[in-house]
Amino acid sequence: MSAAPREAAGPLLSVSGLSKHYGGVRAIDELAFSLPRGAVLGIIGPNGAGKSTLIGLLGGALRASAGTIQFDGADVTREPAAERARLGIGRTYQIPRPFLELSVRENLLAGQYALQPLIARRQAIAASDAILERCGLADVADLPARALPLLRRKRLELARALALRPRLLLLDEVGAGLVDSEVGELITLIQALAGELEGLIIIEHVLRVVRECCAQLMVVNFGRKLAEGATHEVLASEQVAAVYLGTAHAGAVTGAAAPAAGTLGGLVAAGPEPAVANAAPLLELRGLHAGYGLARVLNGVNLTVHAGQAVAILGTNGAGKSTLAGVISGLIRPSAGELRIDGVDRTGTAPHLIARLGFAQCMEGRRIFAPLSVEENLLLAAGRVGRSERQQRLDQVYQLFPVLRERRTQGGTSMSGGQQQMLAIARALMSRPRLIVFDEISLGLAPLVMDQLYAALAALRAAGLTLLIVEQDVQRALDLADEVHVMEHGRIALSGTAAQVRENPVLRHLYIGTAD
Amino acid sequence: MGPASISAAASAPPRAPPGFALSLALLIAFAALALLSGWAGDYVLELGFRLLVLMTLAEAWNLLAGYGGLVSLGTASFVGLGAYALVGAMNRGVPLALAWAAAGIAAALLALLVSRAVFRLRGLYFTVGTLALAEALRLFMVNYQPFGGAIGLFLSPDAPSLRGLFLLALGLFAVATLLMQLATDSRYSILLRAVRDDEDAAAQIGVRPFRIKLLAFVVASLLMGLAGALQGLKLGAVEPYGMFGLQWTVNVLAIVVIGGQGQRLAALIGALFVVSLGEVLAAYPALHLAITGVILILVIRFAPQGLAGWVVLLWRRLHHGSQR
Amino acid sequence: MDLLGLADNLISGVLLGGILALAALGLSIALGVMRLVNLAHGEILVGGAYLGFYLLSITGLDPLLALPLIGLLMALLVYPLHRLLLAPLGAQGPEAPMMTMFGVSIILQNAMLLLFSADTRSIDRPYAATPLQIGALSVPLIYALGFAISVVLIIAVHLLITRTRFGREMRASAADPRAAAAHGVNVRGIHALSFALGAGCAAMGGTLIGIAFSFSPSSGASYLLSGFAIVVLGGLGNIFATLVAGVALGLLQSLGGALFGDGYRELVGLLLFLLVLAVRPQGLLAGRGA
Repeated sequence: MSAAPREAAGPLLSVSGLSKHYGGVRAIDELAFSLPRGAVLGIIGPNGAGKSTLIGLLGGALRASAGTIQFDGADVTREPAAERARLGIGRTYQIPRPFLELSVRENLLAGQYALQPLIARRQAIAASDAILERCGLADVADLPARALPLLRRKRLELARALALRPRLLLLDEVGAGLVDSEVGELITLIQALAGELEGLIIIEHVLRVVRECCAQLMVVNFGRKLAEGATHEVLASEQVAAVYLGTAHAGAVTGAAAPAAGTLGGLVAAGPEPAVANAAPLLELRGLHAGYGLARVLNGVNLTVHAGQAVAILGTNGAGKSTLAGVISGLIRPSAGELRIDGVDRTGTAPHLIARLGFAQCMEGRRIFAPLSVEENLLLAAGRVGRSERQQRLDQVYQLFPVLRERRTQGGTSMSGGQQQMLAIARALMSRPRLIVFDEISLGLAPLVMDQLYAALAALRAAGLTLLIVEQDVQRALDLADEVHVMEHGRIALSGTAAQVRENPVLRHLYIGTAD
Repeated sequence: MGPASISAAASAPPRAPPGFALSLALLIAFAALALLSGWAGDYVLELGFRLLVLMTLAEAWNLLAGYGGLVSLGTASFVGLGAYALVGAMNRGVPLALAWAAAGIAAALLALLVSRAVFRLRGLYFTVGTLALAEALRLFMVNYQPFGGAIGLFLSPDAPSLRGLFLLALGLFAVATLLMQLATDSRYSILLRAVRDDEDAAAQIGVRPFRIKLLAFVVASLLMGLAGALQGLKLGAVEPYGMFGLQWTVNVLAIVVIGGQGQRLAALIGALFVVSLGEVLAAYPALHLAITGVILILVIRFAPQGLAGWVVLLWRRLHHGSQR
Repeated sequence: MDLLGLADNLISGVLLGGILALAALGLSIALGVMRLVNLAHGEILVGGAYLGFYLLSITGLDPLLALPLIGLLMALLVYPLHRLLLAPLGAQGPEAPMMTMFGVSIILQNAMLLLFSADTRSIDRPYAATPLQIGALSVPLIYALGFAISVVLIIAVHLLITRTRFGREMRASAADPRAAAAHGVNVRGIHALSFALGAGCAAMGGTLIGIAFSFSPSSGASYLLSGFAIVVLGGLGNIFATLVAGVALGLLQSLGGALFGDGYRELVGLLLFLLVLAVRPQGLLAGRGA
C-alpha cells in the first residue's frame, strides 16, 4: 500500500490498560502505549518479558484479559484475528508457520483470496509474484513451502504478511538466527517497508536491527513497560542496561560469578587415561551427508573431536549447523558418510543409545518437558543409576545452578528462558556425559544471562568435559573454544584454533560480506 | 496419512492429468453409462447403484478429510438423516423430487446445527466428536417411537424402477464430481487447504476458518444426505441399525483410504475395489469385513497415498524427463 | 420411582462409573502418551471379557482373582501389535495410526464373531447377582467389588506414572518424543509398553463389566464412546480426574436411565459428552501440561 500516511488526527494504534493473565501469571500487566502514524517502534526486553504475548494480543491470536486496543480510532479489542487482518493488521510469527502443503505462491494467494474473493486470478498472481520478487523468493514460487529451509521460511512469513497490504505490520523477532550479512539485508528491507506502511512494530533481540530501523523504543520487563523513548536514549539508559543488556556490551566474559571447578567433579565422566596416547578420537565424522526430503543440508562434513576439547561450530544460517547437531545426537539419519564414536561406527544408531554412550544434548530451543517438574526433568536424564548416585548428581547440579533447587517442584517450563537454559544444561550433566553438544544456547536470551551461562560452560571445560558448541554468537564462541570450525553450504569451510580463525579474513567474509 | 503424505498430490503444480480433461472424460462416461443402462441387466444395475452411492459418499468424505483435514467418523449421521427425511416426507405425500431435496437440506441443516460445537474441536477431538454424534443419533432413533423406534419406517408410495434409481444415483454422482472439481481446483481449494495446514496462521492473514470449514462440511453433508435418501428409497424401508450404523463410516473410510486420501480418483478406484471384494465374499459377511480391515491396515502401512496415489506417482515418474 | 430405588440406582451408577474409569484409563494412556486414538479400545475391552469367560470355563479360575492375570495376558497379546502395526507408521501423522486401529477393531470384532458367535454372554458368578445391603440401600455386590478393585488398580497406575522412572519416561515421551530420545529414553519401547499397559487396563475393566453385565462381539462400540466421554471429561494427564469423570458419567447414565427409560442411558452419556466437548474440549479437569 503506497498511500502516504494520512494526516488524520490520533495515533494509528493506541493501547491502554492491556493485560493478559494465565491463571496466576501476568504475562502482560497494564501495558499502555501508542503508535503515531508513520512511526517505527521497537520493543525489546529480556526473555519471558511478554513480548511475543504482546504481538499475539495485538494481532488477535490471543484474547486480552483486560484493557483496550484501538486501531485507527476503532476498538478492536474483541475482534478475532481474521477481522483484524482485514482491517489492516498483519503479523509474522517468530517461528515461521507457512502453509506447508501449499506452494510458496499459494501461501500468498490465500491471503489475497481471503480479502478479495472476487479478484481476477491473473491479478492475484501478479500481485503475489511482485511481493515474492521483493522478498527474494521469486525463484521458489512453485515449490511447496515444506521444501524451504528456515531462512527462506522467514522471508515467506514476511511476504505472506505483506500480501495482505497491511497498514500496520507487527514483526516478531525476524532477526533471530540470522548472521550479520543477512541482518543487513533484513534491515534494508525493513527500512524500505517503513516508508510504505502506516505503522511498524518490531520486536527484537538483535540490537542492530533496533538501532537502525526504529526511531522509538519501548522496553518491556515482566509484562510491564519499563522504559520508552528515543532509541539511542533508551539504549544508553543505566536502568535498561542493568536489567537487559547486562555488562557484556563488549562481549567479554566478565562480571558473572564463575562456579568453582571443584563442584563439578562428579558430573564429568573421566576421560581416557593420559597414558593411552593413540586413543581413538571421541567423535569423528567422515564424509557426512544429510538433509530433509528434497533439501540437502550437509554435503560432506569431516570433523574430529578429541576428549577434553572445546570445539565451536560457527556458520551462517542455513549452513547446516543444527542439522549437524541433529546427526550427532542420532535424531537425524545421515544419507551417506560415517559417524564414529570412540573409533566405532555408530552411523544410524538410535538417539537413546547414543545418549547412553555418554553424549548429552542441550537442544536448540531447550526442549524442557513441560509436564515434568524441574527435578523430574533432571532425574529423567540420569537414566539407570542407583538412588544415591542420582542424588549425588542432583546435589552437584543444584550447586552449579542454585535457582533450580529453589524451583525444583515447579513445572519445567514455568521459568524464564535463561533459567530454562540452565535447566537444559543441568539436565545434560545429569547423565554424567563425556561430551555435551550445545546447540544455539544463546538464541533469544538477554546478554546478561548469556554471561552467566558461558561462565558455567567455562567451568565445565575446566573440569574436563568435552564441549561441542554450535553458535550464532561468534564472539562468545571464540572466547571459549580451543578449536573452531566454520560451516558454509553444508561443508566445513574454515578450521583452526580460535586465535587463527579470529584473524582469518575468510571468517569476516563469510559473515559480513556476501557469502559465495 | 495426514497432510504429510498427500503433499505431493494436493498442492503441486498441475502435472497430473489436467482437471478439465478429466471432467470432460467423466461427463462423456456418465452420458454413455446413462444410455447403456437401458440394456443392462438387474445385477449390473444393482452393482452400479451401490458403487455410485458409495462413490458419492467417498467424494464427500474426501472433501472433508483429505482436502479439509477434518477426519469425520460421523458419515452415518447424515446418511441416516437423509434416508429418514426422504421416507418421512414421501409418506406424507411429498413428491419424490421435493422429498429428495428435503433430505439433502435436512442433512445440511444438521451440519449447520452441530458445526458451532464440532468445529471448536481440533484434530483428533473432532474425529471422536463426529463418532459420538453418529452414535448418539442412532441411539436416539432406536428409542424414539414417533420415528419408528427400532423397527423404523416403511415407504408407502412406490419407489422408482431399478433403472430409474440407477439414473438418479448416476446423476447424484455427476453432481458430486462437479462439486469436487470446483472445490479442489478453485481459490476455495487454496483457502481450505490453508485452513487445514494451519488454522491460526490462516486466520492471521484474513481467512475466516469457521466459514471455510463450514462450507465444506455443509456441502459434504448435503451430498451424504442425498445419497442416504437414495438408499432409503431403494430399500423401501429405514431402520436405525442399517441407516445410522457404523458400516457406512467403515465402508467410506475403507474406500478413501484404499483409493487414496486427497486424490481425485480415490473414490472411483477405492469403491471399485471394495465393492468387488464385497461381491466376492458376499456369502461371508464377517470374513468380508475382517479382510477389509486387514487391507485397510496394509494400505496404510505400505501405500499411504492409496492406489490412486500410486497412479499419480507413476504418472509423475513417467513425466520426470519433461520437468524443469 | 421411589426415592430409595432412585438412590440405589444412583449409587449403582457411581460404582459402575469406577469400573468404566478403569476401562477408560487405557484409552487415556494411549491418547496421552502416544497421541493415539485407539479405536480398537472397545474390542480390547470385550476381548478381556471373553478372556475372563474362557479362563473360568477352562480352568475354573475366578475372574476377579485372576484379574491381574487377564490384564497381563491382554498386554502380552497386544504388545507385538504395536511393533508390527504402529511403530512403522511414525512419519505419517496422527491419522494413520488411528485408522490402523480402526482396521484392527474391524478385524477383532469380526474375528470374535467368527470364533465365539454373536451370542450375548455374561460371566456367571454367584456374586454377580447378590445384592449388598447397607442399611436401607441395596446395590449389586459385584458393583461394589468392581468399584473397589478399580480404584485400587487406578491408584496403582497413578503411582506407576508419577513415582517411577517408567512413568517419568512415559510423560517425557508424551510431551516431546525427540527430546526424550536425545536424553536416553527408548521412546519406541515406552510407547509399546504404554500401549500394552492401556490394553491391560481395558481388558481388566472388560472382565469386570462382563461379570456385572452381558457382552457380545459388537458391544465394543458403546464402551469406546463412554471411554472417550470419560477421557474428554477428565482431561489427559490426570489419573484421578479420569476416575472422577468416570464416576460422573456413571451417575449421569443412571440418572438418564431413571428419568427417561433404560434405552436412554447411553444416550444421556453421549449427549453430555458432546456438550462437554463443545464447551471445553481439553476436559473439565485438565491437568498440567495437558
